[in-house]
Amino acid sequence: MLTVTGLARRHRQASRALFTDLALSVAAGEIVALVGESGIGKSTLLNCIAGLDTPDSGSIAIGSPAVDIVRLDEAARAALRARSIGFVFQAFHVLPTLTVAQNIGVPLLLAGVLPAEHAPRTQALLDDVGLAGFADRWPASLSGGELQRVAIARALVHRPRLILADEPTGNLDPRTAGQVLALLLERVREQGASALIVTHSRHVAESCDRILTLTPQGLE
Amino acid sequence: MRILAAWLIRAQFRTRRAATLLSMLAIALGVALGYSIHLINEAALADFARAMKTVQGEPDAVIAARDSAGGVPLPLLDEISSDPAVLIAAPVIETRVRIGSQRTPLRLIGIDVFSAPALMPALLPRDAERAATGGILDGGLYASPALLGELGLQAGATLTLLRGDQRWVATIRGDLPAAGRDDLLLVADIAWVQEHFGPADAVSEIRIRLAADSDLAGWRERVAASLPPALLLRVAEDDGERASNLSRAYRVNLNVLALVALLTGAFLVFATQLTAVAQRSTQFALLGVLGLPPRMRLLQVLLEGLAIGLPGALFGLVLGYALAMAFTRLLGGDLGGGYFAGNVPVIVPRLLPAAGFLLLGCAASLAGAAYPAWLNLRQPLVAALNNGFTAHPQRARERGRQLLLPAALALLAGGLLQLPALSGVPLAAYIAIALVLFIGVAGAPLLTQEIFGRAAGLRLPAPQRIALQNVAQAPLMAQVAASGLIVSFALTASMVIMVSSFRVAVDQWLDHVLPAPLYLRGKASPLPQELLTALERPEAPFLRVERSAHGSLTLDPRRPPVALLVRELDRDDPAARLPFTGAVLVPPAEMPVVWISEAMHEIYGSRPGQTLRLPVLGREVEVFVGGIWRDYARQFGAIVISREDHQRLGGDFRPNDLALWPRPGQEGAAGDWLAAQVAAHGLEVASSGAIRRLSLSIFDKSFAVTYALEAAAMVIGVFGLAVTLTASVWLRARELATLAALGFDQRMLRHSLMLEGALIAGIGLLLGLACGIAIGAVLTHVVNPQAFHWRMPLDVPWLALLAGAAATLAAAILASRQAARQATRLPLAQVLASSQ
Repeated sequence: MLTVTGLARRHRQASRALFTDLALSVAAGEIVALVGESGIGKSTLLNCIAGLDTPDSGSIAIGSPAVDIVRLDEAARAALRARSIGFVFQAFHVLPTLTVAQNIGVPLLLAGVLPAEHAPRTQALLDDVGLAGFADRWPASLSGGELQRVAIARALVHRPRLILADEPTGNLDPRTAGQVLALLLERVREQGASALIVTHSRHVAESCDRILTLTPQGLE
Repeated sequence: MRILAAWLIRAQFRTRRAATLLSMLAIALGVALGYSIHLINEAALADFARAMKTVQGEPDAVIAARDSAGGVPLPLLDEISSDPAVLIAAPVIETRVRIGSQRTPLRLIGIDVFSAPALMPALLPRDAERAATGGILDGGLYASPALLGELGLQAGATLTLLRGDQRWVATIRGDLPAAGRDDLLLVADIAWVQEHFGPADAVSEIRIRLAADSDLAGWRERVAASLPPALLLRVAEDDGERASNLSRAYRVNLNVLALVALLTGAFLVFATQLTAVAQRSTQFALLGVLGLPPRMRLLQVLLEGLAIGLPGALFGLVLGYALAMAFTRLLGGDLGGGYFAGNVPVIVPRLLPAAGFLLLGCAASLAGAAYPAWLNLRQPLVAALNNGFTAHPQRARERGRQLLLPAALALLAGGLLQLPALSGVPLAAYIAIALVLFIGVAGAPLLTQEIFGRAAGLRLPAPQRIALQNVAQAPLMAQVAASGLIVSFALTASMVIMVSSFRVAVDQWLDHVLPAPLYLRGKASPLPQELLTALERPEAPFLRVERSAHGSLTLDPRRPPVALLVRELDRDDPAARLPFTGAVLVPPAEMPVVWISEAMHEIYGSRPGQTLRLPVLGREVEVFVGGIWRDYARQFGAIVISREDHQRLGGDFRPNDLALWPRPGQEGAAGDWLAAQVAAHGLEVASSGAIRRLSLSIFDKSFAVTYALEAAAMVIGVFGLAVTLTASVWLRARELATLAALGFDQRMLRHSLMLEGALIAGIGLLLGLACGIAIGAVLTHVVNPQAFHWRMPLDVPWLALLAGAAATLAAAILASRQAARQATRLPLAQVLASSQ
């Protein structure tokens, strides 16, 4: 599902290498945790995989047939993200001026899913993440845990092959974090998608199928 | 994508209601003004054309004398009538007469009843009674219904018509049923008019209808070549162009005012959209991460601009129509400009111009949204997602580059100012004005950094220091907040400077052109000989009398005629009476000399020292141009010739204006003497003081509309600042919450934000003033000469400008209190807890 080969990226300001000749692969349906010290380059790696950052060299093949996102122009990267990648962020990033249902529906619009399918898919996911009845609520009235559930629903609604999550439970209390993590893993597995989760949490990492540690020497 | 775009637009309108409505209103105002001016002018021109059609009919061509005092000789009428290409040749004598002691002369048109029906059906009379005698051929007079209504007369009434010393007592036999509802006309048989008012051996015009198979262009060329120089041949298109030329410059000036509003609107859209982009940069970044294509991030902001512009422009069209209706009722079709008769034209909106103005409003709004859209596209997704929009302070090494754009624009503007007007419209100068505004807005970040960057190092209390640093470190936001103010104050200051320069110049000019204490006017009619003779008697209470005769010359059939003024002045010292702009040349001894107005010099390119061939007194006469004088009264040019030269050329001096100097101590007697003459002959008398007051009051009235617009522009500019500052409070919620957490109390936060508002307003006003002076100079030295052919020295009314700036600064500080209040109402704990 995801194959990274020979990836190198220098720190833009400090002019030192963040990582060199990095290689990793995530199989279809596999959930991989990426851990490492702060500032080691985990988020940069995630951004490179999402096509939001450009590596100095290497390739990142996504999907089947594989597409090297590094070789694509900005518009094609955006199209690939819209079709094939779902995102969950530490800071939730829910659009405050759209309702919960509209927030979840955004990836469907971007992926070009037929409008007739929007409402049923959105409603089904709202039910799945435990937010039935929240469709017309504004994000400002939701708690952190509820916001992250909205973000999970949004990441899954267009049925992407790959989920990229950056500290998905970092802003939540332990109890809510546990619930949100369980929900995320359950839904990803149910959809048969692959996931790469950047985390500092040992609990989150141990819940995944495999753990990769990013060190100055590379991935271990 | 369309659904997403609609969601985002709706969300934008919901969350930024005040800013959006304000931008919409500014666009609406610009469109409304432009559209109303267009509607009024179109209606006035149509009305003017209709009135011309009533009087002139629809001839293929007209032969007339170039000199208003001349005529078309009768032998030429015979010659034209016998031309095989001519179907009808209708002679007309048109003159102006007074009815009894009525002061305003009326048009009396003498027609040939046999040829007129086919060409001038609107002038056909209707007899009140079908009498066998007393009809038009027997000397019957026919009045338009409007005139009958105004005079309160009916058929059968007897009128005394006066022109100078000539008089005709005639009976009204009926009316002119096809005349327009506002036309004030009298019609009689040509022979009767000729018998009473002349000319004996000529007619005013020959109106011609060609045979169906004739070639108008070929015939025109042939006949024009054979005509004596004192006559001209004009065709229908010439009349249309002449009517349009009449009001073009005035129209252009009013359109500039509409552009003022439209430009202010465009800059408000710019401020609204840039703050909207800054406020939502995290959201746009998120959408980009989720897969929104880059071009959609650009298009979304443009679409939001259009969503402001389209309803704004639509509302502007409705408002424009309402304004046109109101203005024409209040001021007439020329908005008080005095170009067309004081009729109330009918406003008829048409689809194509309305669509044009709709597009203009949308284009202004899109232009305002273009830079924010580009910035939105340029925001790096990851940085914007994590940290929001950051207006990075410019580094020192970029200063040179920052200067490049304003410098390049200044060079371009300077180049444009060297270009001449395009078909009488100073288009290049207007583009240069827009560039000056861009330079002002583009220069805001640089000036902000230069001034406040240095001041930020000063040891100041915390709120002041924070305010200074905020402005210095975020020059882009300062630019956004100040842009509306820069534009509105620049345009307001420029109009104030232009109007002040013009007023001061007119005031000084009036000093020069009104040397006598009293003036007596016969309007278009010559003064009675009886009055002129009485003035020469020793018992007349006047020390000195200067007479002048006013006529006109048509030098180009497509342009309004040039005034020909025959004056009693010293050929060797014309500067005693005329305000010359340069050297006065001594003419060759035997050659007549004329002095031309600035407009004549600008329009026809005539220069001092040149020899002109003027079509006067029935022939072409060579005259020497002795100098150029300033004339703010006649926009289409004027030529002054001394009475001495005019008479030497064979001219018949029939004065219609007098300048009078009463004998010392006999001012009262002079007033009484004149009052008797005025009552007897229906003349006008006024003191130089009264003429000066009236002239300046007309001047002030005609510019009154500009003051209202300037005030509107300033209110919009101050509101724009308030809206942007309020938006910036939300944008910097985290920063403000951090300050509060660090110990800033509400009062300190409020002071800091109000000071920020004052500093930004100060920058806006400073740049606005600089741009305003530059634009004022362009309006005074380039636009006015190109559009109106009037030149004047620049006068900067510093006191008024500084008072305006101080008032605006106070308003801006008050407006920024709203932003400060918002800051103190922020849910600080929530903001700090949330990383959004």
